[in-house]
Amino acid sequence: MPGSMYDTLVRIDCTGRKAGAARVDQELASYIGGMGYGTKILLDEVDPSIDPLSEKNKIILSVGPLTGTAAPMFPQACIVTKSPLTGTILNCYAGGFLGAEIKFCGIDGVILEGKAPEWSLVLVEDDRVSFHSALLVMGKGTADTELYMKEKFGPEVKTLSIGRAGENAVAMASIFSETRTFGRGGAGAVLGSKRIKGMAFRGTRGVDVADRKTFAELTSRNIEVLKAACREEFNLVGMFSRVGTGAGMGLVNSHGALATRNHEYGAFPEGSEIDGYAYAKKYYTRAISCFGCPVHCGMLHKFRKRDNTESWLRGPEYETMFSLGSDLLNKDPVTLAEANQLCEDYGMDTLTVGVTMAWAFEMAGKGILKDPDLSLSFGDSDSILGLIRKIGEREGLGDLLAQGPRAAAEKTGKGSMGAAMQVKNSGFAAWMPRRMKGVALAFATSNRGACHKRAPIGDEIMGKLDMDSYEGKAPIVRSIQDTVNAIFTLVACRFHEFVAPKELYPQFLEAATGRTLSLDEFVRVGERIWNLERLFNAGAGMSRRDDTLPDRCFEPIKGDASKGAVIVREKFEAMLDEYYAVRGWTRDGIPTRDTLERLGIGKYAGRGA
Amino acid sequence: MGTAFAFDLEKCTECERCMLACATVKVGHVQLLQSRIAIERRWPELPGIRVCRFDDCAGHPCIASCPAEAISDARGTVLIDGDACTGCEACVEECPFEAIFMRDGIAKKCDFCAGDPECARACVTVAIAKKEA
Repeated sequence: MPGSMYDTLVRIDCTGRKAGAARVDQELASYIGGMGYGTKILLDEVDPSIDPLSEKNKIILSVGPLTGTAAPMFPQACIVTKSPLTGTILNCYAGGFLGAEIKFCGIDGVILEGKAPEWSLVLVEDDRVSFHSALLVMGKGTADTELYMKEKFGPEVKTLSIGRAGENAVAMASIFSETRTFGRGGAGAVLGSKRIKGMAFRGTRGVDVADRKTFAELTSRNIEVLKAACREEFNLVGMFSRVGTGAGMGLVNSHGALATRNHEYGAFPEGSEIDGYAYAKKYYTRAISCFGCPVHCGMLHKFRKRDNTESWLRGPEYETMFSLGSDLLNKDPVTLAEANQLCEDYGMDTLTVGVTMAWAFEMAGKGILKDPDLSLSFGDSDSILGLIRKIGEREGLGDLLAQGPRAAAEKTGKGSMGAAMQVKNSGFAAWMPRRMKGVALAFATSNRGACHKRAPIGDEIMGKLDMDSYEGKAPIVRSIQDTVNAIFTLVACRFHEFVAPKELYPQFLEAATGRTLSLDEFVRVGERIWNLERLFNAGAGMSRRDDTLPDRCFEPIKGDASKGAVIVREKFEAMLDEYYAVRGWTRDGIPTRDTLERLGIGKYAGRGA
Repeated sequence: MGTAFAFDLEKCTECERCMLACATVKVGHVQLLQSRIAIERRWPELPGIRVCRFDDCAGHPCIASCPAEAISDARGTVLIDGDACTGCEACVEECPFEAIFMRDGIAKKCDFCAGDPECARACVTVAIAKKEA
């Protein structure tokens, strides 16, 4: 049956600068697409113990069965690779228009291998691949690199690129796609290690579905659900559609759950000066969508920089308002916007950059770190902007921080490790594990480290779950990890699941591809992927000791707003035991043979041993 | 009843659902190259919308430009006869709104969907609508 997938991946050999089509076989197809394809391919083709920046690492960039269709909120593309930041398997996502364009090339993704003999740009036109010199854009920022590719290859190409951070192997370097970001885990450094400065895609093909009539009906139904959500005053997606993801900061602040001053405090009194409403009120604001999305949560702002020149930014997003805002005691929306721009220009993850800087500012206050040019004080604009530059350039103190918060604390010593707010060396996302115990378990057990995309954030912050309770959180976290992994095979925007009924996913899948799965079977695919990720990490030497939180999480949050919220170590360990039990893993956090066989992946048993 | 669009570019979020809907009605599936409407991103400025303006286009220069007389004005709806089109691209050059596209050697443009444009129906923010007479 003709469906929405092309069952073809393009394997690009950077070393030999050549490419060839690879058919998707039935076994791979059972992983649906996106994160499923990436995870399965990395498991099969990459030894978990390799150096992530060696030419043995691979980047799988893929899309899913709903990419490029009329279904709303499936614009993203997925990258899977071994992370240079965490040493784990990494999956990360960028929205915008890249995902659809990849599908319009008549392919489901590309596999990048090897290392180019010289810095290159890669052009993919339908299934044809060509290499071009990147000489003229070396040292350039992501926006300039993408502009250059549009001038060279045509204004209609959709692009991805790295900035200087990716060139310099900064462990928190991201890959950018027209202001949308494959943000977490350092994928930009991996692309840089392959000497690929950017890629451009131009497709002429169409995307059909197996059952046009049913698909159109599902699409209409889904659009109505989203429109209704957007009309509701207190629906999170509705709030995002009006002022962007920064809409929720006030709510989080009021619960004493907004990480402030390197997670010492849970409330930022000046939060209302840098949240989504503040930007919308203070600056010209225009809503921007990803491909086919009726929610349009991307907010483009025009503002004047500190030097009074006119500028613009699509953002900042909520997570950045924490990492370059409250966590640094930065209450200046202009400094925040410029800090965001700098991260974009260098091509870096605003989250891990901000979290690592917050740790550095605290250590500077204690006399443990210093810098010849910057005061390194919380809330100081010059320190914030100056240190971002130094990280991107790997200059002085920036070289230490460029390796990630845990790596920096290991080298620094002097009791600094407990205040490095990270899991597996990936900086915390904008949520406080002490305030939300489900988030605590989700951060600790995340296969990519401190991940907020698979945490019960909405239910805990909105009060559907008791956020201080440990009770029952283990099965809830397991369920959300499996479900989100499943929807990332499609590749859904994370916000889609906030309002869409889950039954919609297998229904869409069937109408698009003709493949029938029950909702349970669909979620089991997510579980299978979660277990494969875990096996990869075990193969990279990880186990229970990596599923933990920094010492600061086991001390009460300061300030009245958070009511002394703390994680009790024994209760955390008991929750972890329960989590491993509901997963069918050993007490050391490794999937058992029985579990792998139950999931139909028994052949991987022993891989993580 | 006239034939024209009403645009509110401040409301356009550049989601391209108009293009998606247009392509789907023209060729049955999503193939944006076949869309008769195109959104042009001009960040940070407002986007451009490339589509026929019908009643709002003075004199319809495409009609006069066509040596094959393949373009006609049927009570306000300017249409290209694909069978008569020779693919000379004269109309593409002439259109002040860059709204005529060459596809498979033939000039293509918006036909206003027989009075009920799919793009306007698909636009969630009502950035594009049918202009009321």
